[in-house]
Amino acid sequence: MTKTNHPIEQEELMAYLDGELATDRAVTAAAHLEHCQECQRLADDLKGMSQKLMEWEVETSDTENMTDIASALEEREKQPEKTAVSDWRGKGVILRGRRRVWVGAFAMVALLVLAVSIPNWLRSRNGLRGYYAPRDTFTYDAEGRLTTAPQPPPPRSDRNGAAASAGKIYTYDSLNHLNSSGYMDGALSSPRPETKVRQLGVGGSGGTTGKLQSKNQAIDVQQLDDEAQSGDDLETVKSDDLTPSNGPLIVRTAGLTVTTKEFDKARVALGEILKRHHGYIGELNVSAPSEAGRTLTAALRMPSDQLDVTMTELKTLGRIEGESQGGEEVTQQYVDLQARLANAKHTEQRLTDILRQRTGKLSDVLAVELQIGRVRGEIERMQAEKKELAKQVQFATLNTTVKEDYKAPLQMAPPSTSNRFHNAAVDGYRSVVEGLVDVVLFLLSSGPSLLVWAVILFFPVRWAWRKLKKNLVKKDIPAAS
Amino acid sequence: MATCGITGSVRELSADGGGRAGKETQALAMISDEALMLEFQRGSREAFEELFARYREPLFGFFRRRLENRERAEDLAQETFLVVIRATARYEPRALVRTYLYGIALKLLAAERRKLSGKEQSSEPGQEPTVDAASETALWVKQALEKLDAGEREILMLREYEQFNYAEIAELLRLPVNTVRSRLFRSRMALKDHLQPKRRSRTENITARPTEDEGVK
Repeated sequence: MTKTNHPIEQEELMAYLDGELATDRAVTAAAHLEHCQECQRLADDLKGMSQKLMEWEVETSDTENMTDIASALEEREKQPEKTAVSDWRGKGVILRGRRRVWVGAFAMVALLVLAVSIPNWLRSRNGLRGYYAPRDTFTYDAEGRLTTAPQPPPPRSDRNGAAASAGKIYTYDSLNHLNSSGYMDGALSSPRPETKVRQLGVGGSGGTTGKLQSKNQAIDVQQLDDEAQSGDDLETVKSDDLTPSNGPLIVRTAGLTVTTKEFDKARVALGEILKRHHGYIGELNVSAPSEAGRTLTAALRMPSDQLDVTMTELKTLGRIEGESQGGEEVTQQYVDLQARLANAKHTEQRLTDILRQRTGKLSDVLAVELQIGRVRGEIERMQAEKKELAKQVQFATLNTTVKEDYKAPLQMAPPSTSNRFHNAAVDGYRSVVEGLVDVVLFLLSSGPSLLVWAVILFFPVRWAWRKLKKNLVKKDIPAAS
Repeated sequence: MATCGITGSVRELSADGGGRAGKETQALAMISDEALMLEFQRGSREAFEELFARYREPLFGFFRRRLENRERAEDLAQETFLVVIRATARYEPRALVRTYLYGIALKLLAAERRKLSGKEQSSEPGQEPTVDAASETALWVKQALEKLDAGEREILMLREYEQFNYAEIAELLRLPVNTVRSRLFRSRMALKDHLQPKRRSRTENITARPTEDEGVK
């Protein structure tokens, strides 16, 4: 039977007889079957075959043998809620045999991954935290000893003459002497030029004039007002008084970056140069990262007139990578401050005279005393400001960086195998211990919150797990859905 | 006996048309398989008994035609219902219960065949014949079916004996519908060929038999 003779295929005829042919094709098949004898014979054959097949009848079942169904039903009625769970557990539909092994193995691997990754993660976090701080930063203390103390804030001077520096606080006493020697090697004497001070007594008079002497520069010390009537024990530092008659007052700062092959020698030479020029170290940091050259960063303070000589000598330490100099003129500021201070002192004097010579009401006396107190406060503030300014002018700041010209060492002989085994074993042991400690720490720190989340998520996860089980069981029983 | 409880209760329910139980049975008989399954899921034992009554014999026949051993056929029919009982909580009415049941039955049959494949040779001779010796036509049909390819035979038997349509067979065997149709056609054509010679030889035997009798006489 071909399509040229018959509009439908034999297979389609069979489908038509089975009632499985689409309507349009079924109409065609029915029409064709009415007059095509060949197709009628085939249809008869197919029908007859079906009839013959139906002659194979089987006997009825013996329900007496189906004992398990009743017991299963009774068991189900007893435990209707747990039927599903006990079913898959009892029959092992899901976690049977190999699946159970796989699930167990997966759980073990997951635990192992967690045990390894959590310590590493915690370690990496710690490492990241430490990244922002130099790893090998050494700070020299006041006595020139190398310490690994944390970095203190940069030096800062206050109005009382206290200067803080790394690992060291330079404090000026009432005589404006540097109490703590912050010089390298701890052998330098006070870098401050000799100062002469006068202690004022109550209503004291007859001031002493002193001169600030430095090596190449003489700084006139302003004669203190002998008529100071404050009556307190204020100590006045004469060295803070400058006269701009010799030229402009300039606060000098400079920067120098030097690269040297002999870092240790340069380090010693730096101290010697500073010592020669009566300078001192405001701050000093040495960083020595692994597989890289060391770097020394220092803020050096020296008399302003010594700055150029010091820089010239420091340049001999190695190859100059950078140099900078700057100066800020503060003459006008200083003169202005001086004038205001003189006026304030004059005002204070007049007020004191009024208080002495005039008599009046108590309220007037109190008012004058109030004014004296205000003016006295202004005088002190301006004196501190003047002192600070004078210090900046007297001592220049040189920011120095000395870098080591690093050469990577060539390791000729590789470490022996036994050493490598030993190191690996030690590393492994350390890793295990650190891992365990980290896990315990993690559990202690995050355990309570994890517990809370576990309580919160328990029921949703259990619901999802049961849903998953259902789907898996349906895969085992394909026609189930 | 527990089994008597089920079957007996089903019988009683079927027989007692006048009482309340009888009315319930009649009502249950009007309910679809899927509704019964849902009722059983909710805990109705009667619903299961109705399903059991509907599918007990068809499922036994399904196994009986495919297995030599009658007892194993009964066991597997029972096992099918046991699976249903155990998996009731997970049943979702997304397909016909009938397809669901025969899907389980096909799985169990495949497992049984795998189990038998090792000891097939030794167990075959002692087994009870599937059909009565008297039913020659049935034996003839069975032998003709055995000559068919296994896959095609299964499709043909599902169509002829279990009366599944093409789509249901395709779903059960996880085949495309067109594949089912073409294989069914092939199997029918092959069966036609297998049945025709047998018919001729049988006719010859029948005609030859008087001659032998005459010889005896």
